[in-house]
Amino acid sequence: MNYNSKNVSQRDAFWTRVYDLAKENKDIIVVSADMGAPAFDRFRKDLNSQFVNTGIAEQNTVLIAAGLALEGKKVFATAIAPFISLRCYEQTRVYLAGMKLPVTLVGVGAGFSYDDSGPTHHALEDVSIMRILPNMIVNTATDSIMAAGLVDLSLKMSGPNYVRLDRKILPPAYVEKDDFSQGLTVLKPVGEINIVATGSMVHRAMEVSEELKKQGMDVGVIDLYTLPVNEKLFLDTIGNAKKIVTIEEHTLAGGLGSAVAEVLADNQKAIQLKRIGLDLRKGYCYKYGGRENIQFLSGLDAENIIKNIMSFK
Amino acid sequence: MLKNIEELKEKAKYIRKEVLDMCVKAGTGHVNSAFSSVELVVALFYAGILCFDPKNPGWKDRDRFILSKGQASVLLYPILADLGYFPREELDKFTKADGIFGVHLQHDVPGAEITSGSLGQGFGIAAGIALAAKMDRELFMTFALLGDGECYEGSIWETALFASHNRLNNLVAIVDRNHLCVTDFTENVIALEPMEEKWRSFGWETTSIDGHSFEEILKSLKGFRSRKSSRPLVIIADTRKGKGVEFLSDAPLWHGVAPKNHEADKAKEELNNYDHELQF
Repeated sequence: MNYNSKNVSQRDAFWTRVYDLAKENKDIIVVSADMGAPAFDRFRKDLNSQFVNTGIAEQNTVLIAAGLALEGKKVFATAIAPFISLRCYEQTRVYLAGMKLPVTLVGVGAGFSYDDSGPTHHALEDVSIMRILPNMIVNTATDSIMAAGLVDLSLKMSGPNYVRLDRKILPPAYVEKDDFSQGLTVLKPVGEINIVATGSMVHRAMEVSEELKKQGMDVGVIDLYTLPVNEKLFLDTIGNAKKIVTIEEHTLAGGLGSAVAEVLADNQKAIQLKRIGLDLRKGYCYKYGGRENIQFLSGLDAENIIKNIMSFK
Repeated sequence: MLKNIEELKEKAKYIRKEVLDMCVKAGTGHVNSAFSSVELVVALFYAGILCFDPKNPGWKDRDRFILSKGQASVLLYPILADLGYFPREELDKFTKADGIFGVHLQHDVPGAEITSGSLGQGFGIAAGIALAAKMDRELFMTFALLGDGECYEGSIWETALFASHNRLNNLVAIVDRNHLCVTDFTENVIALEPMEEKWRSFGWETTSIDGHSFEEILKSLKGFRSRKSSRPLVIIADTRKGKGVEFLSDAPLWHGVAPKNHEADKAKEELNNYDHELQF
């Protein structure tokens, strides 16, 4: 499969890569809480003995995954992002994090990507709650190439890992030979002001950066896709930057911006920081009209972000 | 392996004393929850039911014993020490700074398979292990010991459905039906009866026994490795919480509490005079 194709979703790129590797490795098992995906149809048909459907029962999904991992299986457990992160959180805490079991939880639908489905299906707190667990790595895919790359990365891990996939097809930001083991990528050279973003907001950051360039501002863009933050690389990368703006389609409480703030504070870095994301006080968004509209209502559209950055003194 | 019922009864008596001693010394621990499961776990480890090797805790072909009611770890630890998984002196260090374990089960204790303490979870791990064994055509069996109060957790029933659908006949669940949870009798809290029918309707082969009778425990497990049924097996073991010490038995307020001072002495005395035949 050409993961670079503009028509491949992160989900299909991810599961196609899992399929390709599972054909060669019988210990790779997919545990699904009745999650559908075109790539699964082939997996179920060709690799039936490596596909486990638990039904819509995410607590048991994680427990079965943990039991399989204890016996040496390399497990990918999946459901829609809020369900595989929140519904079974304690099972993940006690077994995947507590016993450091190599299970990859795959949440589909980062941020508002289920834009037609309402807030039950929005994944807006998952980064905060997953990144505070010991041993847990959180990876948010930026494009389909990275999504496929995260499969290989997951299989090398000795502990648990939460992969957040977008439901929408996002434009490519990477090429196939790219390495995703470092946790962050500089997509536009670091300057005085820099945007640090994750997932779909990386594409928004690129758009905003282009717009600001037209207005004479050079704004760097860093894709920070892995948490915990690779601190040394992050600090080396930002060097003497004066300002950092974080953008996330996620609550500000404990998300990407908080993670960056922690790194800056813990390393006594006097860099001005502005966090752009979702304000808890506004509650959940019960509006529709597409993701762009929901982002607009939440202040995550390009115009609002540009205004925000322009006023960042 | 103990060859006859008398030896098993003696072992049960010894283990009860060890449990009480640990909890009294530490001033904590779930004496009652442990006492209701004594005969069940002693039978598994001493009557030739489970295959295991204390010299090689990670032996690939061992049977897996998953203590889903993790608060009864104080029952498992003296058994593991007695079998040689770790020195008996560790029991004196229960919940102490230089000890290796506390009130709830943890996976890094030699002979323990998992961490447990949050209820409704170990059972699902057991089903995952049993599924892995099926995938790999491994012949070991997986046992899970559940509390009846634990059966209030919805995840228990998610796993119960899953295990029967996937024909995990290499999985045996034992429900310690001691009729009590933390504050009251289960039938007063939220009725669990008819328990056996619930499991049967979830696709399990079921049997109900007296959970303090070695004869009945061993009978219920006869031929468990070569059952013809494709269904997983659940044994509903009728027990008394606190069994062995009369004033602790069937007493909700003794949940998770270790007897102190004269009550501790009284409990020890009762255990010393414990006559298995009369008690049953």
